[in-house]
Amino acid sequence: MVQYNFKKITVVPNGKDIVDIILSRTQRQTPTVVHKGYSITRLRQFYMRKVKYTQQNFFEKLSTIIDEFPRLDDIHPFYGDLLHVLYNKDHYKLALGQINTARNLISKIAKDYVKLLKYGDSLYRCKSLKVAALGRMCTVVKRIGPSLAYLEQIRQHMARLPSIDPNTRTILICGYPNVGKSSFMNKITRADVDVQPYAFTTKSLFVGHTDYKYLRYQVIDTPGILDRPFEDRNIIEMCSITALAHLRSAVLFFLDISGSCGYSIAQQAALFHSIKSLFMNKPLIIVCNKTDLQSLDGISEEDKKLVMEMKAEAMKTVMGQGGEVGDDEGVLLTMSTLNEEGVAAVKNAACERLLNQRVELKMKTKKINDCLNRFHVAIPKPRDQKERPPCIPQAVLEAKAKQAAEKERRKTEKDLEDENGGAGVYSASLKKNYILANEEWKDDVMPEILDGHNVYDFVDPDILLRLEELEREEGLREEEEEDDDFEMDGKELTPEEKEALAEIRKKKSLLIQQHRIKKSTAESRPSVPRKFDKDKKFTTKRMGRQLSSLGLDPSMAIDRARSKSRGRKRERSVDRGDKDNGDAMDMDMDQPNKKLRLRSMSRPRSRSRSRPPSEVAPGEGFKDSAQKVKAIKLGKKSVKKRNKDARRGEADRVIPTLKPKHLFSGKRSIGKTDRR
Amino acid sequence: MATRLMFENSCEVGVFSKLTNAFCLVAIGGSESFYSTFEAELADVIPVVKTSIGGNRIIGRLCVGNKNGLLLPHTTTDQELQHLRNSLPDQVVVQRIEERLSALGNCIACNDHVALAHTDLDRETEEIIADVLGVEVFRQTIAGNILVGSYCSFSNRGGLVHPHTSIEDLDELSTLLQVPLVAGTVNRGSEVIGAGLTVNDWTAFCGSDTTATELSVIESVFKLREAQPNAIVDEMRKSLIDSYV
Repeated sequence: MVQYNFKKITVVPNGKDIVDIILSRTQRQTPTVVHKGYSITRLRQFYMRKVKYTQQNFFEKLSTIIDEFPRLDDIHPFYGDLLHVLYNKDHYKLALGQINTARNLISKIAKDYVKLLKYGDSLYRCKSLKVAALGRMCTVVKRIGPSLAYLEQIRQHMARLPSIDPNTRTILICGYPNVGKSSFMNKITRADVDVQPYAFTTKSLFVGHTDYKYLRYQVIDTPGILDRPFEDRNIIEMCSITALAHLRSAVLFFLDISGSCGYSIAQQAALFHSIKSLFMNKPLIIVCNKTDLQSLDGISEEDKKLVMEMKAEAMKTVMGQGGEVGDDEGVLLTMSTLNEEGVAAVKNAACERLLNQRVELKMKTKKINDCLNRFHVAIPKPRDQKERPPCIPQAVLEAKAKQAAEKERRKTEKDLEDENGGAGVYSASLKKNYILANEEWKDDVMPEILDGHNVYDFVDPDILLRLEELEREEGLREEEEEDDDFEMDGKELTPEEKEALAEIRKKKSLLIQQHRIKKSTAESRPSVPRKFDKDKKFTTKRMGRQLSSLGLDPSMAIDRARSKSRGRKRERSVDRGDKDNGDAMDMDMDQPNKKLRLRSMSRPRSRSRSRPPSEVAPGEGFKDSAQKVKAIKLGKKSVKKRNKDARRGEADRVIPTLKPKHLFSGKRSIGKTDRR
Repeated sequence: MATRLMFENSCEVGVFSKLTNAFCLVAIGGSESFYSTFEAELADVIPVVKTSIGGNRIIGRLCVGNKNGLLLPHTTTDQELQHLRNSLPDQVVVQRIEERLSALGNCIACNDHVALAHTDLDRETEEIIADVLGVEVFRQTIAGNILVGSYCSFSNRGGLVHPHTSIEDLDELSTLLQVPLVAGTVNRGSEVIGAGLTVNDWTAFCGSDTTATELSVIESVFKLREAQPNAIVDEMRKSLIDSYV
């Protein structure tokens, strides 16, 4: 549902303000430093940017104005007409149109000058072109100043319009000036409409809200209407007419039967007949007000006739809605706002008739089918003989009976809290309401853990008893199961069943066996786990001895066992030391890695033996090797703790400033990069 | 008689409280106003107990109970269990259960005679519910939602269920539960009835956002005043049609 809220339109600045805002923004947000020594493309760029940026800002500013003001043709016709009545549609559209034109003009100016700037051949010329462009844009905006001022006025007025929802339940009050419309409004809603004893006290629409049957109704108080030709009506009256014409509502036509408003019943009847076309298809109620001054029965014959004529007209609207002919209830009502006689009846009749009409319309829509389940009360069908009574404590029933007599307020925890320092300060005791055998136990401290046991595990007094019981039960069940097993083999099985059973068991045992074999040989783990080999008897040496005593070559087996038992290390490329004996091309060598074996083996340059760290080299500054060893030891000790904690030390790589300012700032395009 | 209230600016009062015919559990809040609303209404008749469950304040969604018993999830600490046992009368059996679905309040809805349960609940849990709470247990869904505790709320006198429950489902559920049922909303259109409303046989508490129409539906279906469930189809029908459609 569209919400009509005109309060959110942003302020429309006047022409001068817009110019100031935009120009200062251009100054602030585009570069300002330029030199004539710059290349001409750069100069052009500099000024083009200024022109374009200014145009863009003007465009945005004017676009928000155009977009935020409602388009009279797109909004609800009630608001469309109301705005037309209040501000004149032509004038409004003209103002917005002017702004639109200005927006286009500015875009065109910017385009032209950008084109011209492309041919600018010096800084001075470019600058002149920019000045001209900005100047023309500002002139255009200054010229629409009056339109902007007008729109600002309209914005302020629109923000103060009552927020009427054209689609909700609405009750509309209309009639001649001074017949008591606003006083009725004040009676049934909490709106505080000004009531004065002169005509046109109410100069615009007012909204109030009232409740009837759990629903909220919007009550609209309209200014009084005079009986004169449509064209002669003033803006104030036209507000009422607009509301009557466009809002789907219940209409209360107020009639002052005492004539104290200054208009006779005949005049009021004439008004009724002249605007009755606006009441079509709406629940209409004729309300005879001010009965405290003049009762309906006491008026003269011809007046009575007039009233009855109006009633007959109002009845037509009832019939138009498919109501019964004889049903004249709630069409003509009398009331007095002064002594509040009949006020409630009028409100109820209006709400009821409006509700009926709306429900009737809604029943015809498709949407009702989705909601049908919500108007259904499922009443249970009895499914068994069981009684399921409600459980209401006697105390509640007694309290209910007592409530009527006298209401005794209990001192609640909230009161205590307020007395004792309020929320956050007062801390209520959770133990206050414990139900225990002895009142004094309430504040006893119960230990959580006692002698290393969780106390709560032992809270149950008969837990051991129950455990025993459970165990006994389980024993019984086990015995039963055994019995069951025994019976399974028994004789009540047929021969076929026995065969099947045997088959199943055989298969099962087979499966188990297979699984065990698989499990035991999985990944060929060593058959003797390390933990059973405490005194290290099962060594590879022993295996080798045993195997060779059997006349087998143990080398392969030993290598295999070794590679299995220890964690795999990163393998080196062909080991230098092993291949020293010249037969580097011998492919029969059993090498651990296939890949390595396949690669041809070139012999790398042998490395000279490195100096041991303790040896003193000349120039190191040590007296002898002992001193050096000591120094090394000291050095290692000093970093030991730091290394252990993995902290940063002086030897770690440090980049003091990641991006030194002098290397990353300044202009680059002209000038030398290498000197920065 | 239904009361509108809030728990620390949240309208989901069913989350922070658990009301049954024999006791009322209330979450421990920053101030006493939530607790005192319950206290003023109930404390003369049944114990109103401030508690947490497993250190949480969402007690209404974690536990389930009726006048016979109270079931707590396995997350409940020993202290909380002790506190509850001390605070509740001896007729109420307090039991902590090992159930994978630990938000028992979301998974189970019950009154004093019948319970609806989540379809995936353990068989053992179902037996415990039947034993401890003394109810018949039915595994059901409400309008296709398996969280039965979240989407319905019923007492021994009436019930409110998810607004999309079809008429056939309503009739079936009503026959199972043996109470009149209505599909509706709380808290200005909220579908999670169990979260917005907590009710027993003589009183109800709902969130502050609940509209007058919703409140009157609640009062008539739970028979909290003189109004009977039939009022919904009789005198309130027009108001309901105008507000829903």
